[in-house]
Amino acid sequence: MPKLTIDGRPLEVPPGTNLIEAARRLGIEIPHYCYHPALSIAGQCRLCVVDIEKVPRPQVACNTVVAEGMVVHTETERVLETRKSIMEFHLINHPLDCPVCDQAGECWLQIYYMKHGLYDPRMVDEKVHKPKAVPLGPHVILDAERCILCSRCVRFCDEVTGTSELGIFHRGDRSEIGLFPGQELANKYSGNVVDICPVGALTDRDFRFQVRVWYLDTQKSICPGCARGCNIEVHVSRRRVHHAEGRRVVRLKPRFNEAVNKWWICDAGRYGSAFVDGDTRLQAPARRDGEKTLEVAWTEMIPLAAGRLRGYRADEIGILASPKLSNEDLFLLRRLCDALGVGAVDYRVPPARPGDEDDFLIRADKNANTRGAELVGLGGADSRAILAAARERRVKCLWIFCHDLLASAWPEGEVLDGLLGAETVIFQGTNANPTSAYAHLVLPAAAYPEREGTWTNFEGRVQRFRQALPPLGRALPDWEILGRLLQEVQGAPRPARAEDCFRDLAATVPAFAGMSYRSIGDAGQLVQTARP
Amino acid sequence: MSQSAAEPIEPILTRNFGRPDSHTLTAYRETGGYTGWAKALALEPAAITDAVKRSNLRGLGGAGFPTGTKWSFVPKGHAGPIYLVINADEGEPGTVKDRYLLERDPHALIEGMLIAARAIGSRLAFVYVRGEYVAPWRRFSAAVREAYDAGYLGRGLDVVVHRGAGAYICGEETGLISSLEGRKGWPKLKPPFPAIKGAFGAPTIVNNVETICQVPHIVNRGPEWFAALGTQTQGGTRLYSVSGRVRRSGVYEASVGVTLRQLIYEHAGGVTGNGRLKAVVPGGASAAILRADEIDVTMDVDGLRNAGTMAGSAGVIVMDETVSIPDALRVVARFYAHESCGQCTPCRETTGWIYRMTERIVEGRGRKEDLDTILDVARRGTGTTICAFYDGAVGPYISYIEKFRAEFEALIPHA
Amino acid sequence: MTPSRPQFTPEQQAEVRRLQGLYPDPQGALLPVLHLAQDVFGYISEEVEEYVAGLFGLAPAHVHEVVTFYTMYFREPKGRHIVSVCHNLSCHLAGAPGILDHLRRRLGIEPGGTTDDGRVTLLAVECLCACEMAPMLQVDDRYEGNLTPETVDRLIDQLQ
Repeated sequence: MPKLTIDGRPLEVPPGTNLIEAARRLGIEIPHYCYHPALSIAGQCRLCVVDIEKVPRPQVACNTVVAEGMVVHTETERVLETRKSIMEFHLINHPLDCPVCDQAGECWLQIYYMKHGLYDPRMVDEKVHKPKAVPLGPHVILDAERCILCSRCVRFCDEVTGTSELGIFHRGDRSEIGLFPGQELANKYSGNVVDICPVGALTDRDFRFQVRVWYLDTQKSICPGCARGCNIEVHVSRRRVHHAEGRRVVRLKPRFNEAVNKWWICDAGRYGSAFVDGDTRLQAPARRDGEKTLEVAWTEMIPLAAGRLRGYRADEIGILASPKLSNEDLFLLRRLCDALGVGAVDYRVPPARPGDEDDFLIRADKNANTRGAELVGLGGADSRAILAAARERRVKCLWIFCHDLLASAWPEGEVLDGLLGAETVIFQGTNANPTSAYAHLVLPAAAYPEREGTWTNFEGRVQRFRQALPPLGRALPDWEILGRLLQEVQGAPRPARAEDCFRDLAATVPAFAGMSYRSIGDAGQLVQTARP
Repeated sequence: MSQSAAEPIEPILTRNFGRPDSHTLTAYRETGGYTGWAKALALEPAAITDAVKRSNLRGLGGAGFPTGTKWSFVPKGHAGPIYLVINADEGEPGTVKDRYLLERDPHALIEGMLIAARAIGSRLAFVYVRGEYVAPWRRFSAAVREAYDAGYLGRGLDVVVHRGAGAYICGEETGLISSLEGRKGWPKLKPPFPAIKGAFGAPTIVNNVETICQVPHIVNRGPEWFAALGTQTQGGTRLYSVSGRVRRSGVYEASVGVTLRQLIYEHAGGVTGNGRLKAVVPGGASAAILRADEIDVTMDVDGLRNAGTMAGSAGVIVMDETVSIPDALRVVARFYAHESCGQCTPCRETTGWIYRMTERIVEGRGRKEDLDTILDVARRGTGTTICAFYDGAVGPYISYIEKFRAEFEALIPHA
Repeated sequence: MTPSRPQFTPEQQAEVRRLQGLYPDPQGALLPVLHLAQDVFGYISEEVEEYVAGLFGLAPAHVHEVVTFYTMYFREPKGRHIVSVCHNLSCHLAGAPGILDHLRRRLGIEPGGTTDDGRVTLLAVECLCACEMAPMLQVDDRYEGNLTPETVDRLIDQLQ
């Protein structure tokens, strides 16, 4: 491995590493726009220049590969002057419309200009005008005047999705990013171009003019959209509740994880968080009394629900758990089933249509935790048989988590007979759905950004999602609801935190042996059975 | 097309220009054509490269790089294809010579390609002719067909004649390669250099038309003969395109050691307009301008480099005292703004800005800071881009203003 | 002028394949095939771009990049004749602005425009590298130099 020196500090990196990545290992940030580690080297923005001893002129770090004995300086006077110049050049035709630009606050033109600006505006001529506010597709909008033509978005569509919708047309200062006339940027990963756009040229249509980024808080999370478990950041607006039409979760951003999703997430996941603040959120425990639905306090609901569960024989209870529940939730549910002696538990409900799938990130299984449900060892019954038992009045208490059975592959009549056949239907979930309308007891659950937990992705990677928001209304995390029920049923002390549940899980289920929230960390950890 | 009046030399590149049939294989053969190729066939490839090195032949397209040295960059023992690419994308303002060679001596280019291809181990060569050169393209394509029919081509070397589509940047060797590959003419990042990884990912040597036309003569008559025609560091003659305010504009062959004064006053017959020389661009628009008192320089690569400008493509543009230098800069700045490929930020953004400033100045709307802004922006941008286009633009930006500042200031209110 | 669904004849398709076969990667033939397409269809419409993209298995956006990058591809119907007046330095010094003004008046159009009768498209272009015959212009495939208003008039008169 070549040994080199950057700013006087020695390091050794694998051959082929470029100077931006090498410097990054030392915590040295070389400013750049067009370089992106996932994309081919373009070398267009010219910002990442460094001085290399014995090389007469500054070189771009992105296209310079480390060599044995190389001595690199990233902050010589000449380099700093060049950065200033390049920053001025980038802004010659830029509209400087930060006050109305969604990117403001997270714009690399702003960030680098603050550090490397010339602070001597001398461009007094008319700027080149280009198309503004052009919708490129369902999610992305273009302001070509803000574009610095780094070509990241073009390379993304060429190299990552292979869809090649975008190009740089014309030449000189008339050059502009665009679509082939009549085409749309509608590939399944289109939103990623917004993330990799270093400026405000490509922005999210659903984020446009919603809230200033400096009012956002971020939290590490996992996309619940499919079995991949892409690592994400949840961006929430809590400080300006009147902004973004009251939405708390205003956007999701991918979070780098080399082993799972790299830098990317799909559009379905990115734009799929509306349910968290949606009108259908279940916000209070409720019981149905004839035609009336009455909200009740948890202090009333827990004994009520526990009473129903204890009121039936164990073989009169059927539970349709969900592969969307966390490992912690599923483990507590398993304990509760053990306490009650319930054996009719399953989590598998086939979707009406097979899920969309590709050979990149998107998995057909739209549940975040199918693998976790398998590993936790819940039940072993057959979900359709449980429903059939309800229809046949053998199961009298049907406890359904999350699922909308009416949107499943099962015939509607079969589902309705099952729902109407049970004396007691308990629904536990985040949002109301056609199935929940049949519930006698509704237990409102916190959505994933409102709680802690872990999911196990299809490869067996256990990943943590964290709390970004308080639960809406009186919703509670599933593990907490289950813990309270378990306490009510068994008198056992209930876990105070999700982490406590996970500790018990790791101590009980071999696949999770030795794992902890600490060991899972930000990158996740493979379960025992999935480790090489 | 005349010989040097000052130091008469035997015409080499232009020896057949006077014959109406100079483009035919018959005429070419009658004047010793393809005998260099016959000699080269008896030489080892390395010996050909060595001869070209010793001849001090330097690239005549603009950069002036030693040709034999360039050839020697092809990796030894390379297993896959190696391409020879001829840059006939003549575009440097003030330059016309490759058009003359394509039309009047096309077989010299073909013979030179045969020899060069043997030297570098290429079996497939491309000739990239600028799109607007329709007649030269037809003339040269006909010569290629003749050469195939006569068995020079098709037995170890194939030649593809490729037409460009209108972009000055394709004269830059990696821009040319991008264009040849069917893409925008965006120059490529270096490394890798074309000799290692060029056209279609293979080692590629790009040479100018005139450079390769010299090669048969070098092989035929020996590198020492060729070297002796020039200066210490550059051999041979070259074709000077002389235009602007001169009596006889045209293409003149002379030693690389001819002086600029000789070209203007002897070859081109002196200055028109008011008859008094004001300035001259010695090597195409991208070369820094020289004042009337700076023309006693030799035209070789190093001579002009020492004079603070460049030999470039040897396109000499002459201006008499009635020419407005600010207006000339406006015209040149418009050209660079139009032709910037748009890839690198400094070039893309400042060529247009500088053009707008020069336009404003010429129209009497200049600001007193403008001249220093242009100079500062141009200096800051120098050397920051992927290719040499921007540094070429900087040549006129800086030299026109520095050498004729008073004339610019006179146009600026309150300067 | 351009049919909505452009299509080369079998002979032209064979020519496309021949051109593609000349290059180590068929994409090398993109510029020559676009020249052919312009000859056949008159100009390179978006439909032609899509058609040509299909012939190369390229994304239309990448063909559009190429078509908009080079000056010789017309994206709108052009006149039967193209008159391109060089306005670079040597021609400028030799009176190109006067030649261009003369053509403006004579044709009643600005550079970039086409006469109403579709006869002539007038362009002002960068150096055509015929500075020795400045001022000069290109009319279709032909270079014409040492222009005066009178010779320009004669040239225009000859265009059908």
